[in-house]
Amino acid sequence: MKKAIKSVIAALLVVSTLAGCSSFTGTQSSGTAAQGESASAGSGKDSITLYLKNEIPTLNQFSASDNIAFAVLNNISEGLYRLDKENQPQPALAKDVTISDDQLTYTFTLRDGLKWSNGEPLTSKDFQFAWLRQMTADARNNYSFIMTDYITNALEYSEGKATADKVGLEAPDDTTLVVHLKAPTPYFLFLTTFVPYFPQNEAFFQKQGDNFGLGKDNLIYSGPFTISQYDAASGVTLVKNDNYWDADNVKISSAKIKIIKEQSTAMNLYKAGQLDRVELSSAEVPSYKEDPEFSTNTIFRTQFLQINTTAEGTKNVNIRKAISCAIDNDLLANTILNNGSEAAVGVVPGTMSSGVTGKKFSSFQNGLKTFDVAKAKEYWKKGVAELGKEPQLSIVLDDDTETKDVGTFIQSQLKDNLGIDVTLDSKTKEARRTLMKSSDYQMGVNAWGADYDDAMTYIQLWADHSVINGFRGNFIDESYDKAISDAKAEVDTEKRAEILASAEKYLISDQTVIVPLYYMGSAYLTKSNVKDLFVTHAGTLELKHVSVQ
Amino acid sequence: MNRYILKRLVYLAVTLLVITTLTFFLMHSLPGTPFDEDKISRLSAAQQQQIYASYGLDKPLYIQFFRYLTNMFKGDFGTSTLYLGMPVSRIVLNRILPSALIGFQAVLFGVVIGLVLGIIAAYRHNTSMDYMTMIISVLGISIPNFVVAALLQYFLGFKLGWFPVAYWESYANSILPSLALSFGVIAQIARFIRTEMLSVLQQDYILMAQSKGLSPAKILVKHALRNSILPVVTILGSIVVNLLTGSLAVESIYSVPGIGSLFVDTIKANDYSTILGLTVFYSAFYVVVILIIDILYCLIDPRIRLASAKE
Amino acid sequence: MQSGPISDELFRPSVKNKEELEHISRPNLTAFQDGWLRLSKNKGSVCSLILLILLVILALAGPHLTQFTYYGTDYNATYQAPSMLHWFGTDKFGRDQWARVWYGTRISLLIAVVAAALDLIVGVSYGAVSALFGGKVDAVMQRFIEILVGIPNLIFVILLMMLMPASVWTLILAMSISGWVNMARLVRAEILKLKNQEFVLAARVLGTSDRDIIRKHMIPNTIGVIVINTMFTIPSAIFTEAFLSFIGIGLQEPKASLGVLINSGFQVINSHVYLLLIPAAVIVLIMVCFSILGDGMRDAFDPRMRN
Repeated sequence: MKKAIKSVIAALLVVSTLAGCSSFTGTQSSGTAAQGESASAGSGKDSITLYLKNEIPTLNQFSASDNIAFAVLNNISEGLYRLDKENQPQPALAKDVTISDDQLTYTFTLRDGLKWSNGEPLTSKDFQFAWLRQMTADARNNYSFIMTDYITNALEYSEGKATADKVGLEAPDDTTLVVHLKAPTPYFLFLTTFVPYFPQNEAFFQKQGDNFGLGKDNLIYSGPFTISQYDAASGVTLVKNDNYWDADNVKISSAKIKIIKEQSTAMNLYKAGQLDRVELSSAEVPSYKEDPEFSTNTIFRTQFLQINTTAEGTKNVNIRKAISCAIDNDLLANTILNNGSEAAVGVVPGTMSSGVTGKKFSSFQNGLKTFDVAKAKEYWKKGVAELGKEPQLSIVLDDDTETKDVGTFIQSQLKDNLGIDVTLDSKTKEARRTLMKSSDYQMGVNAWGADYDDAMTYIQLWADHSVINGFRGNFIDESYDKAISDAKAEVDTEKRAEILASAEKYLISDQTVIVPLYYMGSAYLTKSNVKDLFVTHAGTLELKHVSVQ
Repeated sequence: MNRYILKRLVYLAVTLLVITTLTFFLMHSLPGTPFDEDKISRLSAAQQQQIYASYGLDKPLYIQFFRYLTNMFKGDFGTSTLYLGMPVSRIVLNRILPSALIGFQAVLFGVVIGLVLGIIAAYRHNTSMDYMTMIISVLGISIPNFVVAALLQYFLGFKLGWFPVAYWESYANSILPSLALSFGVIAQIARFIRTEMLSVLQQDYILMAQSKGLSPAKILVKHALRNSILPVVTILGSIVVNLLTGSLAVESIYSVPGIGSLFVDTIKANDYSTILGLTVFYSAFYVVVILIIDILYCLIDPRIRLASAKE
Repeated sequence: MQSGPISDELFRPSVKNKEELEHISRPNLTAFQDGWLRLSKNKGSVCSLILLILLVILALAGPHLTQFTYYGTDYNATYQAPSMLHWFGTDKFGRDQWARVWYGTRISLLIAVVAAALDLIVGVSYGAVSALFGGKVDAVMQRFIEILVGIPNLIFVILLMMLMPASVWTLILAMSISGWVNMARLVRAEILKLKNQEFVLAARVLGTSDRDIIRKHMIPNTIGVIVINTMFTIPSAIFTEAFLSFIGIGLQEPKASLGVLINSGFQVINSHVYLLLIPAAVIVLIMVCFSILGDGMRDAFDPRMRN
C-alpha cells in the first residue's frame, strides 16, 4: 500500500514537472520577446500599447476578412494608396495615377526603389500576382467580389472561364500597373487602400506554402511595421520597418497590440498606465465625457433591421412602415448605446463621400427614416385592416450583448408605441444567418460594414439577386434594380449621387424593406501624450502617423 | 491488475472512436456553415461552389467523415476555418499550455488548502473553526469565479500591484488566475472531506486507534483521511478535467491565451475540424483521468474490488 | 440457530417487569419522522429553512410588491441608484431592478431545484445500478458516461436550443444531459466501497432483494455524499445557466435569471456596482441557506450519525 501511494506521488510529481516544463516553453518564448522589445523600444517613449477585443484570426491577407486582422495587416503592409486622417486616399506604394477620360483605365506608377522587408524589390508584378489570387476561391476571405465586380474579365477568370492574361490587369514594367474597369468607379482609389488590394511577393508566398502567414517568419512586410512577436490569442508586437519607403515619417519604433476581451480588464490596465487607449462601455461614458482624454468616432458600419417582405405579416408594407415609425433611433443611440454610435436615418452613413467633390452623401439624402408615434399607429391600423388580423411578430438576432440590447430596445419601443408584443429570438451568428438565408424569419437584426467609401457599397445589396435574397428580405423590385444599373453607368457624379439617394429613399421610406438603426461608434480614452492615433471610417486601425510626446 | 488496465485501454480506444463519430455528426447538424453566408451571398453561384469544394464540404457527409478519420489516424487533424489555415494540432497545443498550467496550480492550491480546512473542520466539529471553514466553503461555491477573478485583479493586481493585472508574459501572470480558480476547488474538497471524516471519526477503528494511544495527527492522517478520501478522488477527476481544459471567464479577465474561449468560439463559428480536434484531445484526457482514478480506488481502499478485475 | 436437542433445564423463567416492558426508550418513528425531528432541533437548519421559505415567498410575490414590472422600460430613468421609488435601482433600460431580481430568483430557483432533482434521481439510480451489478453492466454504463462527457456539452445545448423553443425547460433539459454524471460516479464509488462490507453481506445472506439493498442499505449509507453533491449541483446549475447566458445562449430578453443579472451587472462593475452586488448577494444567501440546511439534513438522515 505504501508503495502504491509512493508511486502515485511519484506520478503526480512527473505530471507537475511536465506542466512546469510546458509553462516554461510558453513563458520563455514571450519572455525573450519581451526582452527584445525593451531593447528595441529603448527609452520606451516611442512605443505604444493598444488592444484588440478579439483574437487575431489570421495574418494571411488572402484569408483576412475582419477588422481585427485588418488592424494588423494595414500596418504591416500597404496598398497603392493609404487613407489619411480625413479618410482621403493618399499615394502610398504608388506615387501617381493617370485616369483615362472614360474613367475605365487606371495607370498607376509605383515609387522607385520600393523594397519588401527582406530587401527584395517590390514591383507591379507583386500587385498583379496578389490581385489575381484574390479573384479566385483560393482567397479564403471570400472577398473575390471586391475585385471581380470591377476589373474586366475578373469574374470569368475566377469562375475558370478565362485565363489570367485576359484579365484587365497589366504590369508592362516594374513600376507600372494598368487596370481596366468594367464601368466608371469613382471610388476605385478607395478600393486600393483596402487589404485585399495589397501586393504579395510571389516567390516568398510559394516558398512558404501552407505555412504562409502562420508566424512572424512566414510573412513578408511592405508596410510601416514588421512583426517581432505574434500569437493569435495574446497579440502582436510591431516594430518599425527600415525598408519601408516612408520610414522617416514613422515616429514610433514599436507598438504592442494585445488581446483583451474583458472591458474591465482593459480599464484597469489603462489606469495602471499599461495601455494607451481604452474603449469605454456605455455605462462609463457619462463619467468621462468631460475628460480631455475622451473621444468618440464612428465607422462605416450600419446596424439595421431587415424585414422579410414575403413573410406572414411583414409582407404588408403598412405593417413595415408602422414598425419603422415606432422606433426612436436617437433614444437608442444616445441612451442605450451611448458610446459614440450615431442614430441612423438611412442605410448609408451621411458622412460617406458622394463622389462629388466637397459634398458628403448626406446632402443628397432626405425623407428617410423618421420617428413618429401617431403615424406609426395609423400605419399599423391600416396594415391590420388589410391583413384582417393583428400579426404575431418576432425578431431574430445575434447573441452578443450589444445586439441583444438593441433587440430589447426595439421590443420595448414596439410595446410602448404600438402596444404589440414582439418575440425576440437570439441565436448564434451562424444560426441567425441560416434562418435569414432560408427566409425563415420576419425581422432580423443585421449589419453591413462598408468595404469602400461610397454609397454603392450599401445600395447595391438589395439589387443583387444573383443567388440568395433571404438576407435582403426577398426584396425584388425592377425599378430599384434599374436605378442601380443606371447609377453604375452614370459618369456625372452629381446625377449618380442623386440616383443613389432616391433609390435609398425608395428602399427605406416607400417600401420599408429595412429599418436603419445606427452607425456603429466607439468612445475612447486616449493618453494625452499619444498623437495622431486614429481608426479609419472603414474601421481599420492606422498607426503610421502615431507619435508619442 | 495488468490485464484489467489492458482491457481498459482497449475500451478507451473504442470510447474515443464513438465520441469522435458522434461529435462529427452532431457538429455537422448544427445550423449554418463555417462561412459568413451573408458575405458569400455577394458571390456568384460558381464562386460559391468553388468555396464549398475547396473545403471538401460539397461531398456527402459520410465521405467527409471517412476522410477525416483516415487523416486523423495519420495524425492530421486538418486546419481551422476560424483561424484560417492554422493546423488544428498547433492551435490546440498552443492554447492548452496556459490553461493546463493555471488549472494544475488551481488544483494544487485547492486540494492542499481544501484538505487542511476539511480535516480541521471535522476534527474540531461544531467549533468556531468548523463554522469558519464552512463559511469559506459556502462563499467559495456561491460567488461566481469571474467575480472573484475581477476582485483579485482589482485589489491584488491594480491597487496593490503585487501581481500583474493581466497578460501572459511570465510566470507571475499565472498566479492570480490560479488563485481565482482554486476557490471553488477549496470549497468542494473541504466539504467532502469534512463530511466523510465526520462519519469515519465515529467508526470503531478510530476508537481503537485512540485507545492504542496514537497521536491525533497520526490518527487523522493514517486512518481517518485514507478512509474519507474516496469522494474527493472521484470528484477530483472532473475538477482536473474542467480546470485543465480552461475556464472561459477567468481566462478572458486575465487575458490568458487559454483553451476556454476556444471551445465556445469554435463551436459558435462551426469550425468543424478545430472542435473535433479539441474534442478528441479533451475526451482522451478525460478518459485517461477516469482510468487513473479507477486504479486509485483500488490503491486507496483495498476493499474495493473493481468488478472487471475479478475476472 | 439450528435446532438441536434442547433440554428443559437450559431454560429459566424470566422475571417480567411490567414497567420495563411498557417503556419505549425512543419514540417509535419512521426514518423520515425521525430525521425530521432531529432536523428541527438544529437551530441553524431551522433558520436556513425559514430564510429559504422567505426567499421563495419573495421570489413569488416580490415582483408584485412594486408598481413596476420586470420588463417595463423607462428611458428617462436608466441606471438609477437604489431609492425609495426603485428599491434596488434600475438597469440600462430603466427597468426596475427589485422586480427583476425577484423574478430572476424565481427562475434561478426553478432551474436549480429541477436540475438538482433530475441529477438526484438519474445520478443516484444510475450510479447505484452500475456499482451493484458490476461486471459487464458496470463497464458499459461507465463507458456511456465517458462518451456523454467526452462530447462537448455546448454542442448538445446549441442543438437543443435550435430544435426546441428557447424556454426555461429547454435550458434545464440541455443542462441535465450530462449534469448527473458526477453524482452517478460518486454514488458508484461509495457503493463499491460499501458493497463488500459486512452489513451488506448480512443483508444478502438474509435474502434481501437487490432493490431493497439499494434502497435500505446503500443509499442511506451514501446519503452524506449525495446531500453534499446536491448542494453543489444547485449552485452549479445556477452558474451553468449564467454561463450559457454569458455566451449568449439561454433565456430570451426580457426574461431574467440571477445569472443573467450578475452577468450584466458585471459589465458595469466599474460604474454601477449595485447592479452586480444585489443579485450576487441573493445568490450567496440562497447558497448559504441550502448549504446549512444540507448539512443539517445530512446529520439528521445519515444512519451513521445516529446517537
